Amino acid sequence: MRYAGYLIYSMMMLTTATWAEFRGWTLSRVNQVTNVPKTVRDNPGAYRSHYAYYSRYVGGK
Amino acid sequence: MSSPLVAPPIAKTKALYCPNCGGPVEFRGFGHALTVVCPQCLSVLDASSTLLKIVQQAQDEQSRRTPLIPLGTRGKWAGATWEVIGFQTRSVEDEDITYEWEEYLLFNPYKGFRYLTNYQGHWNFVTPVESLPERRAIGSRPAVVFEGVTYKHFSGAEATTVFVLGEFPWRVKAGEEVLADDFVHPPLVLSSETTKDEVTWSKGEYTSGSDIWKAFALPGSAPKPQGVYLNQTSPYAGKVGGVWGLFALMLMALVVIAIMFAVLSRGDTVFDEHYHYATSDRGEPSFVTKVFNLEGRTSNLELTINTNLQNDWAYFNLALINEATGDAFDFGREVSYYTGVDSDGSWSEGGRLSSGLIPHVPPGRYYLRVEPEMEGSEPPPAKSTPAAAAPATTTNPQSPHPNTFKARTLPVKSKSVYYEIVLRHDVPSYGWFWIAALLLLIPPIFSTIRAASFETRRWSTSDYSPTSGGG
Repeated sequence: MRYAGYLIYSMMMLTTATWAEFRGWTLSRVNQVTNVPKTVRDNPGAYRSHYAYYSRYVGGK
Repeated sequence: MSSPLVAPPIAKTKALYCPNCGGPVEFRGFGHALTVVCPQCLSVLDASSTLLKIVQQAQDEQSRRTPLIPLGTRGKWAGATWEVIGFQTRSVEDEDITYEWEEYLLFNPYKGFRYLTNYQGHWNFVTPVESLPERRAIGSRPAVVFEGVTYKHFSGAEATTVFVLGEFPWRVKAGEEVLADDFVHPPLVLSSETTKDEVTWSKGEYTSGSDIWKAFALPGSAPKPQGVYLNQTSPYAGKVGGVWGLFALMLMALVVIAIMFAVLSRGDTVFDEHYHYATSDRGEPSFVTKVFNLEGRTSNLELTINTNLQNDWAYFNLALINEATGDAFDFGREVSYYTGVDSDGSWSEGGRLSSGLIPHVPPGRYYLRVEPEMEGSEPPPAKSTPAAAAPATTTNPQSPHPNTFKARTLPVKSKSVYYEIVLRHDVPSYGWFWIAALLLLIPPIFSTIRAASFETRRWSTSDYSPTSGGG
């Protein structure tokens, strides 16, 4: 087969893209946390996000 | 038993003696030879009569070259047996660089004469051409058409005979000059040699040295070709188009798969609620939503926050928590929207809506923990952070040196935002397909560049060098 290498490479790309899409993978990073206490349901303040209350300024032009 | 390479009709050589040195001179050309060179003293002799008159006194011994295929060697090529009866080297000079190549004269009593040429390991089997090629031009470049094939002009130069050995069917001597022009259509080359009396044409076909070594049963192996030769077949010829064709096919397959995902993805809205937040609200700003169900397979979850912000920002700390396992996806979304009018006209920055994908969320029962922040939000006292210690004030953010800026505390007005949180499960994202399409593109681009580079190297030694702008 003349383009066997490229064909195999292409099939790998197609398969990987299809599988990644099927499994819902994304390139964006989300922090995964385990064992969040069940008390959060009653007391949301018991769990605080890693991202909460950083000094941040978002301003316009 | 005789060698199968030696054809029965070819007769044995006859020998005469050199009038210059008295050494034996062999004849293999069945009386076709007009010139013969004494292998001992290198005198060029007139072979049209048995008297062997000296045409050119002994060539300079320093110019002596040793043929890679010894005279008298026989081999089978293109369906006939050929004997090497003559050898000459010729050269051209270009910008003080001398390019020298070898020519082997082959003879078969039924087929006549052919040539093998060798330049730095690049070989051509050359046949004299009987009919005259038709001259044409491709743009400003000369070309010729022969047997329906167009050959582009490659180079033209004065070629000088450096060394001759053996016998030739024409008057040959060292130092002879002809105007040589090459026209190429790889793997073919059409060459013309112009003297003041005549123009002769020949057609060459590129061939590998190893095939010649095999055909002439030569010891060892052929010298490795160096560089790219004028009519050398490109290893990429015909492949680049094929790779691009396959790329188009794969791209179509990718589009079909993407369409299938667009059609088959559930895209269910599993959560849609409206909220309000104000910095003036006292107490814990975070809250949890009602529980919602994610059904089906593990897939992504799209979160969209739609706000009514105007020249303001809000940040949402979010955690998607599995009710049963306590596993959470912890992330944040920032929404900011600014608009105004200045000397350039109206402008806007950001947007009231922000959305993102949470990857690979297994099915199950989930709820969201939401903690909004705006300018002036006070962190709950339980959590001690640098921001928490600061009062609900703002400093001039435009200051290039905030630390040296005398803190000018300004009271911050209470801020508020109305927002909607929407969650959709199993949403097509297409990001992987874009990445796959880009990765699929790499080999065809690479092939195209390599093919172009090969052609650039080929034409770099021509009169039309793309690198020197010659022509």
